[in-house]
Amino acid sequence: MATTNSISTQTTVAEHPPANLLVLAAAMPAEEFDGVLVNLNEAFSAETMIVATQNQHAANGNSPLRVIPVPPSNTTWTLKPTDFVNAYEIAREHNVRAIVMLGPGANSLSPLALRGLADAVLNASIDLATPHYALPPNTGLINSAIIYPLTRALFAARGRFPLAIDLGLSMRMAERLAAAARRTSSNAQDDAILWPVNEAVSAGFSVDEIDAGSRAVPQPSEVDVNALLALVTGSLFADVEAKAAVWQRPRRTPPLRRSNMRVVAAGSAADVAHMVEAFRLANANLQEIWSLVLPPHSLVMLKRFSVVEPAAFRIPENLWARVVFDFLIAYRLRTINRGHLMGALIPLYLAWVASHINVTASGTSAETHIESVAAAFEADKPYLVARWRWPDRFNS
Amino acid sequence: MIQTVSTNTAQAAPYLAPIPVNVDDVSIWHHMSDALHQSLYRVLTLLIAVLPGILAFFVAILVFTVSGMVISWALRRSLSWVKFDQRLAKKSGTDWTPTSSPTELAARFSFWACVLFGLIIGVSAFDTSYATGTALPISLLPYLTHAVGAVLLLFAGVLIARFLARSVLISAVNAQVQYARILSLGVKWLVLVLTAAMVLDHLQVGRDIVELAFGILFGGIVLTLALAVGLGSRDLVSRSLESRVEHSGDRIHIPEDTPPAQKSIRHF
Repeated sequence: MATTNSISTQTTVAEHPPANLLVLAAAMPAEEFDGVLVNLNEAFSAETMIVATQNQHAANGNSPLRVIPVPPSNTTWTLKPTDFVNAYEIAREHNVRAIVMLGPGANSLSPLALRGLADAVLNASIDLATPHYALPPNTGLINSAIIYPLTRALFAARGRFPLAIDLGLSMRMAERLAAAARRTSSNAQDDAILWPVNEAVSAGFSVDEIDAGSRAVPQPSEVDVNALLALVTGSLFADVEAKAAVWQRPRRTPPLRRSNMRVVAAGSAADVAHMVEAFRLANANLQEIWSLVLPPHSLVMLKRFSVVEPAAFRIPENLWARVVFDFLIAYRLRTINRGHLMGALIPLYLAWVASHINVTASGTSAETHIESVAAAFEADKPYLVARWRWPDRFNS
Repeated sequence: MIQTVSTNTAQAAPYLAPIPVNVDDVSIWHHMSDALHQSLYRVLTLLIAVLPGILAFFVAILVFTVSGMVISWALRRSLSWVKFDQRLAKKSGTDWTPTSSPTELAARFSFWACVLFGLIIGVSAFDTSYATGTALPISLLPYLTHAVGAVLLLFAGVLIARFLARSVLISAVNAQVQYARILSLGVKWLVLVLTAAMVLDHLQVGRDIVELAFGILFGGIVLTLALAVGLGSRDLVSRSLESRVEHSGDRIHIPEDTPPAQKSIRHF
């Protein structure tokens, strides 16, 4: 694991005027990093700023920006705990006021988006600024189905991308995340996923969302949806379990922010037949496992929807919310092995994806549907709280 | 059997037909009674030899179960009094369910540790008392001392069978294998048969027959599964191998022959 002692800086604080912003860029190809530097130059021409990069051969000869190297952390599709520790240590060393963390492919972020992230944490007294990407439809579906609605319902945070790979952090937020990262490292979980929004809400810090426009989102090396869903959802469930005392307090969700972003046009309609077929197969074979997790009412509803034609297939928002909550409860209670639990969730998630594609194909915008799903999660939160406190009551 | 002819009767009535050979009833009953008494004596002697052991077994379990209940209750009370769960949750940042809180787990552990300890002591006492009566052969008794190990083996085997059956079922369903349930059942019975063979071997019951039967059954199940997977999943295996070759890099590579509809879905 990288430690702060190994970080060597090419410049010293004494040689330059004090910087107020640190930009930490993940390892990326040289041409991508050059693109990031160009955008940073354009966005922060007037500010003093330090760029810390994990690139081994950072070409900074022609750039007026101060570029310092940091040890690489194998960041591919999400920020690693080491990134947060490095960011905080470098920021403290250079005495900056805020940090902007950029993931791989950050050259596709506009200067305006970079500026927005930095301004939020430098000037607007925001502790955590998350970007709101304009992604093509049917992209980031795990986020739309589970991560966003669950985070919004439990932590009353409207961030559309809670697991964003680009972040703006105040110093106290960076310190908090570095402490959380050190905890995971001490537990030998160097590849653990940190949930910045949940941490910020737990600490009582302010969170805001910045329009970031379109972005090339890096894809996980693990292309299998089964493994990916288990990894991300399992991590989120574990974090929710750890922060139960926080999210059970009643909170008011901030009002919906008016976004100026242009909605990306819908692409070709995806084929839902194979997803519905996967759900049907699971419905025929996994009843024994689902019945340990889901209440009878949900099982009956799922059975009813399993006979619907693929083109007319829909999973109601409230049923999906109830399913996710019941799986979360089962995760907490260890009703069955957690690996099995996540595996049993996959066909249900595919059913939701099929339903989402059908809804958007019928004319409803994807964002409208996702917002209604999130609203259903919020409306059903009392059920989750009740079962969390009194798990033996199987109220449906 | 001793048989005697009654000469007095033959002399008194010579005109009568000769009486057939007669059995001495008193003597038969006497011998039967002797045999029964000896058998009863042997059984009673054995019971007297073994009864203290059986009683010791039950008393040990009873005493240690009661002790376990008392210790568990005291532990639960004392840990609740010092707010152990809250302190631990504060330190580790973990939320515990009421049914599996650290206090509850500690109380349960202490109870079952006591029960297990009582079981071990009981079996040991029984074993010692039986050793004194080994001159009297009763074939079932040796199995009682092995029963505890056999029960543990059976318990572990059933747990492993259930775990593996679920793993196979979920993986097969997610891989969209149509005969997922059959595959899962096959794996489950494979492990159960193996467990049953191990349990019987541990109990030293019908060794050769069990080995033979186990070999036939195990081989049969493996052959059935191999045929099912080999014949039914050729496409699945070839697709899996192809995708592994194509996805050797870190970045996603979508095959050219994938329909455009599938390319448009990205889960992350």
